[in-house]
Amino acid sequence: MSAQKELEFKGYAMTDPSAWSNLTVTPFQPKNFGPEDVEIAITHCGVCGSDLHTLTGGWGKSHLPLVVGHEIVGKVTRVGEKVKDIKPGDRVGVGAQVGSCLKCRACNENYENYCPQMIHTYNHEYPDGVITQGGYSTGIRAHERFVFPIPDKLESRYAASMLCAGVTVFSPLKAYGCGPGKKVGVIGIGGLGHYAVLFAKAMGAEVWAFTRGTAKAEDVKKMGADHVVDTTVDGYWKDLQMTFDILISTVDHFPPGVSIREFLSMLYVHGKFISVGLPDVDQPLPAIHPFDVTMNGSLLGGSHIGSKEDMMEMLKLAADKGIKPWIEELPMKEAGKALEGLKAGKVRYRYVLKQDIAPVEA
Amino acid sequence: MSSQNLQFKGYALTDPSKWHDLKIIEFKPKTFEPEDVEIAITYCGVCGSDVHTLTQGWGESKLPLVVGHEIVGTVTRVGDKVTEFKPGDRVGVGAQRGSCLRCRQCKEDYENYCTNGIDTYNAEYPDGVVAQGGYSTAIRAHERFVFPIPDEIESRHAASMMCAGLTVYSPLRTHGAGPGKKVGIMGIGGLGHYAILWAKAMGAEVYAFTHDKSKMEDIKKMGADHVIDTTRKSFHKDLTHTLDILLSTRDVFGDSTPLGDYLSMLYVHGRFVTVGLPDADDPLPSIHAFDLAPNGCMMGGSKIGSKKECLEMLELARSKGIKPWIEELPMREVGKALQDLKNNNVRYRYVVKQDIV
Repeated sequence: MSAQKELEFKGYAMTDPSAWSNLTVTPFQPKNFGPEDVEIAITHCGVCGSDLHTLTGGWGKSHLPLVVGHEIVGKVTRVGEKVKDIKPGDRVGVGAQVGSCLKCRACNENYENYCPQMIHTYNHEYPDGVITQGGYSTGIRAHERFVFPIPDKLESRYAASMLCAGVTVFSPLKAYGCGPGKKVGVIGIGGLGHYAVLFAKAMGAEVWAFTRGTAKAEDVKKMGADHVVDTTVDGYWKDLQMTFDILISTVDHFPPGVSIREFLSMLYVHGKFISVGLPDVDQPLPAIHPFDVTMNGSLLGGSHIGSKEDMMEMLKLAADKGIKPWIEELPMKEAGKALEGLKAGKVRYRYVLKQDIAPVEA
Repeated sequence: MSSQNLQFKGYALTDPSKWHDLKIIEFKPKTFEPEDVEIAITYCGVCGSDVHTLTQGWGESKLPLVVGHEIVGTVTRVGDKVTEFKPGDRVGVGAQRGSCLRCRQCKEDYENYCTNGIDTYNAEYPDGVVAQGGYSTAIRAHERFVFPIPDEIESRHAASMMCAGLTVYSPLRTHGAGPGKKVGIMGIGGLGHYAILWAKAMGAEVYAFTHDKSKMEDIKKMGADHVIDTTRKSFHKDLTHTLDILLSTRDVFGDSTPLGDYLSMLYVHGRFVTVGLPDADDPLPSIHAFDLAPNGCMMGGSKIGSKKECLEMLELARSKGIKPWIEELPMREVGKALQDLKNNNVRYRYVVKQDIV
C-alpha cells in the first residue's frame, strides 16, 4: 500500500429541502478526531427508510447541508491511541448511531442503543457543535464502540445494509427469544422485513411472512419463509389466532382506519408485537383498546436499532450461515434514484450504493 | 348446610336504568356435572367489572343478571370425578368458571386465556344455562376454577383475592417482579393496593402513582417505597428510564392522559401492563412509535390469572400474613358498595356478606 494521503470528507448532500432527492457532492466537517475514534474510508452505504424520512422533512427539519446514510462499510484509515481492537486496513461498518454517554445504566448493560444521550449518525450534533454527516460520502469518524469489524466471509456489499436494517430486526428477534420451537411472523417484506425472514429462519424459528398481495410471495419462499400470507385476503388472520410468539412489524405507517387488533389477536399468550417502523411525526399508531391486549395477555412494543453486542452476534450468524440479503447495487451518484425507488416501494429488497467520489485503495 | 336445601337466589339486575338497585331473584344454577363443585357462598367482593357490566358500559348484559366474581364459601357437594375437594372445604371462585380444557392454553396453565372460557357471570353454558355470579347464595363451578383457601386466610380477606388479587399477581409474576426490580403501580384502588402488597412481598422496590393525596398515608402503610403525586407537573421526569414494570389499574383514560409520559418511565424493554378494562368506547390514549423506540418498551394487557398462579398467590398471602384493606357490608347493601366504587369512594375493596340464607 502506498503512503496514505489524508482522507477528504465529501458527500452527496441535500442543500435544498424542496429538492430533497437532488443530492450534490459537498465537502463537510468531520467529527473532531479523538483518542477513541476510528476513521473510515467508505466503500459502500445502504439506503434506509430513515434517509427518506429525514430528507423529506417527515421527521422534522434538517441541518443543512446534510449527508444521510447509516449503513456504512469501509476501510479503516486511522485509529486513536486508545483504540485497541481495530487497526488501519480493517474492514468495518458503522450503523445508525455514532455516540452515547458510555456511563449510564443502559450503556453499561449493553443497551447503548437506548442511551438518552445517544448521537445519531447523521443530522445530529456532537457536544462540540459538529454536525454528524452520514455515509453517502467518502469518509466518517466514529467512536470505537460504534464501529463493527466485518467477518472475512461477509462481502462488504452484503454487510452494508445489515448495519441498520439487519440489526434493527435482529435485536428484537434475539431479545424476545426467536429460536427453535418458536413461531415468528414478519409483517411487511421490504428491506427490514426480508432480513427478519432470513435471520428468524437462521435462528431456527418457524416463519410466516405477511405481505400485501402475491407479488413478493415467490421471493419470500426463496428467502426461506415457511408460510406466506396475503394480507389483502379477507379474514387472513382468523386461522392464525393465538399462534405467534413474536410478530415483527416493519410497516412504516398504518393508513388511517387500519386497525392492528387483528395482528394482536394472532399472538399466543404473552406474545409480542414489535414495531420497528418509525413513521413521520404526524402518524401515530392506530388506537388500541385494552381488550385487544387483554384477550391474550399480549404486548405491543418498539425497538431501536441494536447494540454492538447484537451487531457482532448478527454479523457472525450471517457469516457462519452464509446469509446474503437481496440487494440492488447502484453507484453512489444515483442515490437520488435509489431514494425515489424506495419511496415508491420498488426496491427488491435493499439498495446499496457504491462510493464513487474518491476511490478507496484495496 | 345440606345440599338438598341449597337454594340458588341472588341480588339481580332487572332494570338497567336502575343499575345498582338489585332485587333478589331465584335462578337456575349450572347443570351439575361430574367435575363440578357446588358451593354455599359466605362472602363476595365487589369488583369494577360488576360496575362495568351492570351499567352496560361493556355492552348489553343478560337479564336478569346476578354479578359478583370474588366468591368464598363452603363446599356442599362434589361430582364423582372431583379429586381436589370434599364437602365442608372452604374454597373460592374468581372471574372464570369454565374453559375447554383441551386447547394449547388450557394445557399450558393459561386457562384464563382459553378462547372458549366461561366467565363467572353474564356468560352462557353450551346447554343454554346463564352463568349467574356471587352476589348470591350459591354457585357451581368446574373443579379447575375452584381454589382451596388456606386455613390462615380469613374468608372475608380471601374473597377479593379471587379477582382483584389474582389479576395483579399474574402480570407481576409473568413480568418478573422480584428482588432488584422496580415496579410502578398506577391507580391505588382495589387492584392497585393488592399490587403494592404483592410486589413488596415478592421483593421488588415499589413506586405507587396516585392523583389522590388522601391515599398517600395509607399507601406508605401498605409498604410502597415511593409515592408519586400524578397531579404534580412533570412527575415522570424524575423517573425517566427507571421502571421494569408499570402496572396500570386505571379503567378510565379519557383523552388527556399522556401515555407517552408514563412509557418514558420504563427502563429498556420495560413493560406497561394495563389490567384496567374501560368501557368499550374508551380506548387507550394514542401513542406514536417514537414513544416506544427510546427505551424499546412494551405495552400490554393481562386477564385475571390461572389456577396455578392463584394457588401461588394464596401461598404468598398465607406465608407473609398479607391482608387486604377492605370495607365490609351485608349483601343487601351491595347497591351502596357499587355506587361508592363507581365514585371511587372505597378504601380499598368492598366485601359483602351473604345474607339471603
